[in-house]
Amino acid sequence: MLILGIDTSCDDTAASVVEDGTRIISNIVSSQTDIHKKYGGIVPELASRRHIEMIWPIVDEALKTAGAKLEDLSAIAVCHGPGLIGSLLVGCSFAKALCFSKNMPLIAVNHLEGHVFSCFLEEPRPNFPFLSLIASGGHTSLYRVDGFRRYKELGRTRDDAAGEAYDKVAKLLGLSYPGGPVIDKLAEQGNPKAIDFSRPYLPESLDFSFSGLKTAVLHYLRAEVQKSKSAEVVEIKTSELPDYCTSALVKDIAASFQACIVDVLVRKTEWAIRKEGVRSVTLSGGVSANSELRKRIKEMGEERSVEVFMPSIQLCTDNAAMIAAAGYHYFLSGNFAGMDLNPKAYLPL
Amino acid sequence: MKQFKFLSRSVDETKIIGFNLGKLLRSGNVVCLYGEMGAGKTTFVKGIAQAMDIPEEDVASASFTIVVEYNIDVPLYHIDLYRIDRDADIDEIGIWDYIYGEGITVIEWAERLNKIPDDFIRVKFDIIDEYTRDITIEGMDEKSWNYM
Repeated sequence: MLILGIDTSCDDTAASVVEDGTRIISNIVSSQTDIHKKYGGIVPELASRRHIEMIWPIVDEALKTAGAKLEDLSAIAVCHGPGLIGSLLVGCSFAKALCFSKNMPLIAVNHLEGHVFSCFLEEPRPNFPFLSLIASGGHTSLYRVDGFRRYKELGRTRDDAAGEAYDKVAKLLGLSYPGGPVIDKLAEQGNPKAIDFSRPYLPESLDFSFSGLKTAVLHYLRAEVQKSKSAEVVEIKTSELPDYCTSALVKDIAASFQACIVDVLVRKTEWAIRKEGVRSVTLSGGVSANSELRKRIKEMGEERSVEVFMPSIQLCTDNAAMIAAAGYHYFLSGNFAGMDLNPKAYLPL
Repeated sequence: MKQFKFLSRSVDETKIIGFNLGKLLRSGNVVCLYGEMGAGKTTFVKGIAQAMDIPEEDVASASFTIVVEYNIDVPLYHIDLYRIDRDADIDEIGIWDYIYGEGITVIEWAERLNKIPDDFIRVKFDIIDEYTRDITIEGMDEKSWNYM
């Protein structure tokens, strides 16, 4: 059974054809980071206008690569939130129109649910129950997953998401957008113990808080700049990477900041494992592409004899295959959306 | 223009100042927040939300979704213009629909708005050191001041 997945929740237009919720036939993502780089962030209007331009070509490409026609599809699964409302509207309107014209069932999938199901698209697959850590630019949450539509939120960010902290700290350091890959790369060359940023563990809960870390970086940077009486230390050009002509200070900040984020994500996942007594953990969301996080969570899994499932990088970041994968379960349970489907910017799982 | 100045020495104090302002807000009010990254804007919004019986842990950064709606009796619209830097985009995301709606609108990174009406409440955050902030509020009527 073939399902077409569509995701336009943030900066990428994505379409994918997935068979039986597990086998990816095609997976197309139009990375828009080239346009967004110019503006130092995601420009929403630009994104939704771009989605309008991209949606047909991307869906066409997904079908062509899969060697499938619209008639071969059993349903269309579309992400209806959470995300940028203007961007979500493009995907939802497109999917609704296509389903209406072809008299095909429409399925609405929560973006976070998509991330949870991304781990079913590759071997080996986890068994229920498992713990799901989703860390991206817009979300940082821990869920216990007991089955399809049986999710329990254990914790979430109270302020900034982990990926947002990366983007904002990158901006403070004068680095390019998105912040994750740049900081990850610089961190390899810095000393993670150089600056002891305090770890926001919030020991009483499984929630996260990364806002204070961003402020701590800001004040550390200010103090350093004042000490050297020159702003030169922060004026670096990442376009010159990989020559690494950036200062040692920036590398140390990058490494120390990353160590702090990864410590918190790994430690809290460990707490959740202990609390819930589950034996499997899945990782997803853009931040799970981070090399240090992947390494550390794997080590933690080995220490605690917990199985860790990390999708490959292109399935960690936003994609539509995960939407089709979750959509398959909606199809099996006969859970379809109506033509009155409206996307929502805020949509808890 | 009458100004009201507060000195906040911690995250908790910033929340309390937000809470006190939040208690005075009513339907149709618009609060513009100004100040650099890490100045305490989202923390302040947590305080405002708490005054409206929204648990503060439900209020996170709105930088990603730009607009977060809390649908209670008088809705709270939490807007964050951090990622927006063109006038055209500000109009396109429909923030004027929120501003002139029935709820209370709080706008972070209001620097991105080039012109705001006089009856908007303006809150400016100045970073003094790692923990201390100067918070200046203006644009509220005299009577409300007495309550604060």
